[in-house]
Amino acid sequence: MYILGIESSCDETAAAVVENGETVLSSVVASQMDTHGKYGGVVPELASREHLRAIVPVVREALERAAVSLSGLDAIAATSGPGLVGSLLVGLTYAKSLAFARGLPLIAVNHIEGHIHAVILESRRAGTPVELPALALVASGGHTHLFRVDENFGYALLGKTRDDAAGEAYDKVAKLLGFPYPGGPIIDCLAPHGNPLAVRFTFAKMKGNALDFSFSGLKTAVLRWVEARDLAAAIAARRALARAEPHASLEQWLAVTQPETLDLLASFQHAVINELLTRAAASAAQIHARAMIVSGGVSANAGLRAAARAAHLPYPVHFPSPGLATDNAAMIAAAAFPKLLRREFAGFDTAADASLKLA
Amino acid sequence: MPLFRASTEAETIALGERLAAKLPRGVVLLIGNLGAGKTTLAKGIAYGLGAALPDDVSSPTFTLIHEYGHGLVYHVDLYRLEESREVEGLGLDDIIDSGALVLIEWGERFPELFPPPRTEIHLRALPDDTREIELRRLG
Repeated sequence: MYILGIESSCDETAAAVVENGETVLSSVVASQMDTHGKYGGVVPELASREHLRAIVPVVREALERAAVSLSGLDAIAATSGPGLVGSLLVGLTYAKSLAFARGLPLIAVNHIEGHIHAVILESRRAGTPVELPALALVASGGHTHLFRVDENFGYALLGKTRDDAAGEAYDKVAKLLGFPYPGGPIIDCLAPHGNPLAVRFTFAKMKGNALDFSFSGLKTAVLRWVEARDLAAAIAARRALARAEPHASLEQWLAVTQPETLDLLASFQHAVINELLTRAAASAAQIHARAMIVSGGVSANAGLRAAARAAHLPYPVHFPSPGLATDNAAMIAAAAFPKLLRREFAGFDTAADASLKLA
Repeated sequence: MPLFRASTEAETIALGERLAAKLPRGVVLLIGNLGAGKTTLAKGIAYGLGAALPDDVSSPTFTLIHEYGHGLVYHVDLYRLEESREVEGLGLDDIIDSGALVLIEWGERFPELFPPPRTEIHLRALPDDTREIELRRLG
């Protein structure tokens, strides 16, 4: 059975065709990074305009690469939330129109459920399926959540960030120090060149749910660290490099980043990874998880992957391949497959929901 | 102009809770540097109005607009936007006209978009980590 998936919840317009929830026949992402990079983030008005421009060619490309025609599809799936309403509407409305015109069922997918299914799809494909119940850590620029994933793909929220998302912390720390957007990849590349124990970050003990995250104190600590030093010239040099060379190499970044700052980046990355893994492992223990899923843009972080391996957790930890870590549509089609089997279809009155909850 | 001090995160939330009832509906700009406590104060304000629990109010930096209590409170963050044109694309006018309390971080960068009457809450982190919080009404 073939599902066409469409994703437009934030800064990527994407379409994919997935067979039986596990074989990715095509996955096309119209990366908007070059449009957004200079703004330091996702710009909604620009984003919805970019989605409108990209949606038709991206879907056509996905069908062509998969060698599947619209008449060969069994369902069309689209992200209905959470995200920016203007962006969500482009993909969801296009999916509705296609489904209506072709008499195909429409399936609405939660973006976060998609991230979880990106990993479930790949691990099944690799012959090492995720055993359930599993603990899922979904970490990106907008989300940092811990979910229990049950046998029938029911979900329970175990923890979440009370302030900044993990990816947001990376973006803000990068910006404070003059590095470009997105902050995660550049900090991940530079962190191995510093001492992760050089700067001690203390996390305030939190009341309430012990599985919740908080990254805003870490951001403030980095701000204080920057304010206590005279880094203006170094920051200006990095901003100049980012402007002059949008694809600057690691050597070029190292040349404008002093050892003290490399130590800070290494320590920051160490602190974030430690927070993520400690709470994810505690959640997994609490629900007697048989596997851990790490997904969302932050799951592409090499330091996080290495730390998860080194932790020798008593269950497998599954990460997506880099292409499926960040926003894509294959994960939407994959998440739609169990819904297709259950005939859990969405009506044409389905609305985009900016704050759609998974659990 | 009322000036308050909060020496812990919990005190900032408690202050937000107390201020909530006094804030007129419409635009409230939360003004202060990164880490000054804008989102923390927003937690208290949303809680004070019965719109959300403090732990459920998180940073809207990436997502831009969070809504609490079925349209009672909106929490907006314009940190990543550069031009008024982009802010105008968010449809904030509809939200402001709806009679909701609209908390806006980094809105002072676009003063022409938020003409008085408006409320401003200025937050400043002092060297001892105490927060100085000042309420101002314009227009």
